[in-house]
Amino acid sequence: MSETASAPAVSTDGSGGGELLVVEGLKKHFPVTRGIIFQKQVAAVKAVDGVSFTLREGETLGVVGESGCGKSTMARCVMKLLEATEGKVVFDGRDITRLSRAQMRPIRREMMMVFQDPYASLNPRKRVGFIVAEALEVHKLGTEAEIKRRVQELLEVVGLNPEHYNRFPFEFSGGQRQRIGVARALAVNPKLIVCDEPVSALDVSVQAQILNLLKDLQRDFGLTYLFIAHDLNVVRHISDRVLVMYLGKVVEIATRDDLYREPKHPYTGALLSAVPIPDPELGRQRTPVVLEGDVPNPINPPSGCNFHPRCPRFREGHCDVDEPELRSMGGERHLAACHYPLERWPMTADEMRKSTLPEAAS
Amino acid sequence: MPLLEVNNLETRFVTDDGIVEAVNGVSFSVDKGQTLGIVGESGSGKSVTCLTIMGLNPKKNTMSSGEALYNGQNLLTMSPRRLREIRGNDIAMIFQDPMTSLNPVHRIGDQLMEAVLLHQDVTKKQAKARALEMLKAVGIPRAERRIADYPHQFSGGMRQRVMIAMALVNNPDLLIADEPTTALDVTTQAQILSLMTTLQKEFGSAIMIITHDLGVVAEVADDVVVMYAAEVVERAPVDAVFKRPHMPYTWGLLGSLPRLDTDTERLVQIKGQPPSLLNPPAGCRFHPRCPYVMDICRVENPPLRPVSDDPDHLQACHLDEETKDREAQKLIAGTMAEAS
Repeated sequence: MSETASAPAVSTDGSGGGELLVVEGLKKHFPVTRGIIFQKQVAAVKAVDGVSFTLREGETLGVVGESGCGKSTMARCVMKLLEATEGKVVFDGRDITRLSRAQMRPIRREMMMVFQDPYASLNPRKRVGFIVAEALEVHKLGTEAEIKRRVQELLEVVGLNPEHYNRFPFEFSGGQRQRIGVARALAVNPKLIVCDEPVSALDVSVQAQILNLLKDLQRDFGLTYLFIAHDLNVVRHISDRVLVMYLGKVVEIATRDDLYREPKHPYTGALLSAVPIPDPELGRQRTPVVLEGDVPNPINPPSGCNFHPRCPRFREGHCDVDEPELRSMGGERHLAACHYPLERWPMTADEMRKSTLPEAAS
Repeated sequence: MPLLEVNNLETRFVTDDGIVEAVNGVSFSVDKGQTLGIVGESGSGKSVTCLTIMGLNPKKNTMSSGEALYNGQNLLTMSPRRLREIRGNDIAMIFQDPMTSLNPVHRIGDQLMEAVLLHQDVTKKQAKARALEMLKAVGIPRAERRIADYPHQFSGGMRQRVMIAMALVNNPDLLIADEPTTALDVTTQAQILSLMTTLQKEFGSAIMIITHDLGVVAEVADDVVVMYAAEVVERAPVDAVFKRPHMPYTWGLLGSLPRLDTDTERLVQIKGQPPSLLNPPAGCRFHPRCPYVMDICRVENPPLRPVSDDPDHLQACHLDEETKDREAQKLIAGTMAEAS
């Protein structure tokens, strides 16, 4: 549930002052050009194609989807590391979509990012102390001595030895490096931390350490997370609400429990059913809804509902013509974009198919 | 006789910093039609074990000992010529990274045919027919056209299918899959796993699957080997490992997993880092990270021995069985209680 202790009392319709981040109709299209001298645009990769959501203070919104569905591009647009093609991003009541670099600078303090690959996201030639302190120095937050003290404090907060601020990244293991990444993000006391697959590159035991750390930090500092991952178990563990993306669009968004207990979109169902269960008895009974084929090419997405070529509930003449809007599925907080949402859960692929048949006959 | 029997396998790499004990006294066996899962953290020696069995370690600076008996013949002491006959024909391997394990400058059809032409006395035409058949078997759409494509024209999941097709093209008796689904999305992972089990049923091959995903192991494996710091710490049928794990490291692995079927506020974490294999800890190698550590653990490395009432369940831990059963039940109950 999103109304956790740290979030101020906000009504569920989301009109309170607790909204930290509002994303509306966000689009990011990358042009595909042809020609050497006269480059003309022949198509566009619709990486993010109309994503809207709100994120309240102290909340964690998990974003899941297969690779190539636009999760990371969306995060980069939110962080203004990429310029959005259309739509707007409102951070803490201020539209940041069209701000210049200079105007952005004070806002950058408030939103930080933890990257996926702890081996590539730390400069190998800089000492850990410098890496963590850089943001403090850029924003001129304190004297040299103060900054050093703050860096040591941060290293301690994330569970590293403060004495190690003089070491280089290669002297640390993957999990420790990810802790450095977290310390760097925390340095300027941000409100929002965007985590782009922060545990994907780590072993399960180390993954547990980082997930516990992120939860502890959220409790202690009232942080808000936008948490991107492709591992549904991890997202379920850390999120209050979950957003499912497919081919640049939101297909379902709901509170964690609603989404995992009663998924409405067939794609969410297929994703959930594909997660292996670490229990041999349950695992053997499981019948995953196997999706045919791969994610389609975002240059030329399928007509109508993006998901229709792979959907077990696909109905000709409706799904491939009419694009479903994101609509309420019982409760304002559970939205899904599907003409034939799942009636119950769990369901096998055959049941999914069958339950649309009677309607087809009528 | 098991299809593959590995006895006391040891692999050491000589490096500038000293000798790395990458595999230390590993023993297990795989029967025909069975699936063995090998789990452990990165650097625990899972992949090196398989590479040693396949004879794929660099010759320079590597020392191996022990036995890897395939149908009674020791793969480690075999002539390179004989090994080449077995490799790719009787034993095949699927490598972890589909992005880098295919040759980017050859068409996938040619790469598939190479294995057939090397091991079987067939014409190019027959080899091509066989390659096409395999591509269809692994579910590549429009295989007739895609056989002439280059690897870059395939997505990750499709490339992994090509890798599987390549490994299965000669109907191997033993398939070694090194993290075959780690780089893939869950939906593709489900496709690949069901493909592997279907093909196993069809051809009766044995599979050795290396993974760090306990969910995958629970689903496909018959037997499980848990490795830690180059050693086997637990070896048992899959149900025993998940229902009655007998080694604190296995508890840590199971507890650290966020799961769809349970609610846990905090994950169990294994403190610290895996040890350096240049200089492994004395006694039990897990003792510096073990919450149940006793004095004996610091001195004596526990041997792999059977649980008293279950001879198939081997474990290496000094704790008494009563405590272990109690703690294992706590772990399972702690997560299971909230599941319903």
